[in-house]
Amino acid sequence: MKAKLISVLKYIFLCAISFLFLFPFLWMLFGSFKTNNEIWQKPYQLFPSNLDFALLLKNLQEIHLNGYLLNSFFVGCLGTILILLVCSMFAYAVVFLKSKNMDRIFVVVLITYMLPGAVTYVPSYIILANLHMLDKLTGLIFSYLANVFAVFYFRQNFMKTSVDFVEAAKIDGAGHWTILRHVILPLNISAFCSVGLLTFIQLYNSYMWPSIMLNSQEKYLISQGLRQFFIQDGAYGMNWSQVMLASTVAVLPVVLILIIAQKWLIAAISQDSGVKF
Amino acid sequence: MKKNTLARIGFSLPFLIPLFLFWIIPLISAFSISFTDWDYISPKFNFVGFDNYKDMFLDTDFLRALQNTFAFAFGTILPTIVLGFLLALIFQKAFGGSKLFQIIIFSPWITPAVAVSMVWSWIYDPEKGFANYLLALFGLGPSSWLQSSKTAMLAIIIFTIWKSVGWTFLFYIGALSQVPKSLYEASDVDGASYLRKLWHITVPYISPTTFFLIIVNLIQSIQVYDQIQIMTQGGPGGSTTTLLYLYYDKSFQNYQMGPANAVAIIILVIIILLSLLSNRVSKRFVHYE
Repeated sequence: MKAKLISVLKYIFLCAISFLFLFPFLWMLFGSFKTNNEIWQKPYQLFPSNLDFALLLKNLQEIHLNGYLLNSFFVGCLGTILILLVCSMFAYAVVFLKSKNMDRIFVVVLITYMLPGAVTYVPSYIILANLHMLDKLTGLIFSYLANVFAVFYFRQNFMKTSVDFVEAAKIDGAGHWTILRHVILPLNISAFCSVGLLTFIQLYNSYMWPSIMLNSQEKYLISQGLRQFFIQDGAYGMNWSQVMLASTVAVLPVVLILIIAQKWLIAAISQDSGVKF
Repeated sequence: MKKNTLARIGFSLPFLIPLFLFWIIPLISAFSISFTDWDYISPKFNFVGFDNYKDMFLDTDFLRALQNTFAFAFGTILPTIVLGFLLALIFQKAFGGSKLFQIIIFSPWITPAVAVSMVWSWIYDPEKGFANYLLALFGLGPSSWLQSSKTAMLAIIIFTIWKSVGWTFLFYIGALSQVPKSLYEASDVDGASYLRKLWHITVPYISPTTFFLIIVNLIQSIQVYDQIQIMTQGGPGGSTTTLLYLYYDKSFQNYQMGPANAVAIIILVIIILLSLLSNRVSKRFVHYE
């Protein structure tokens, strides 16, 4: 009897907590169905008075987020693929091509792990300028390639992989690239998924560094685009219903990823100290 | 053997080139620039020794930013750790729907800070916002939230706790699942109460996790930027200007590269000191198996 009561209380408590955590999202989602007048006149009403999809579509066309979304997806997808490639190769060299020098290099990487990325922004900006890669999405991707977290995560997983598989492949005459591609990758596929998803989300959400190095509006990532939209009319000229819609659209891709791929994402997060974004 | 050296180089260079270009060289140059008066526009600059550092400790903007950063860090970390731990305790044993609740609590962490900051700035609106509506229900308020230098930092802290507690919470769930059941069973024989077990078994056992989480959260909160840039731009009256915001303002807004990089080096030193300190403390006090 007592156990049952505690269980019921637990569910009530968790529902209340969940509502608290979901509230800003619900507010945003329902807000995008409201007209601007409705938002100002009935500010405390959560549900919109009617679900007007025509208005939603009209607003969707007016907010012009497509270009920003496309940029974010480009940086997110290409960046993730390249980071997976570059970092898994390096981790492979650290684990399976062990040598004194590799160990020394890895110590240097280890040191950079906890350091704040933002401290490097001014010199990184100058270096990108010298490489003629400022204000370019490819330059942004290039500057994100050395993802230390990915190297750590791969290294940990590779070390658990049995060396016997690698040795057997070597005896069969396989080169290192073949071993990485056909032995290590299939055996660590969930590590690749975890790092890939987390990296995509980090790239998609990134804001400070892109807003420093991307200056032309057609290059903006989604967060910069949102901010542009947020400030252009000033606080009181603002169309809040469109702001809510724009935020909803920006949040939607990561929420979908969370729902579909929670397993991999949570595995990666419980090992990440996610420092440089 | 020669072949392996070649493979090492081939497999490492694609990672090491960006690492050097965007981590190692910038760290060294940030350090060097902090001793100059470079203004970015002109090619000429002078070495000024420790002047930038000396000026900093006389500069009220910097001292306030330092104070704001620590106020923000301590204001977010303690509630994040306590809340994350208490919430995780509920999930120590799996139950129907536990995964769904976990995902909900975690969801703010992965969403873009800019998008959710915009919604929260509406929630914080002094006249029409939901935060004041809630306060009024308890007979409190109204507060001006982001628009007053007294409450702006508090508002940012509340937002940050909402956004980031889910990560700490998930980490604690992982740590709690690794506490050996045999420890609890042994104390059940002695008839220990839940709170006793919590205090004498769970808390000590997961103390390495707690230390790790405190340090990582501290390092992250020293780098807070996104929500401040959207919600307050460091205002009102500099009350939410943190060290990183000051760095951005000095460097990319005012082109005072010397003083800006001196701020960067101070941020770096603080983080290195904290990491070293945490190593020390954890070796002395934290329980390891």
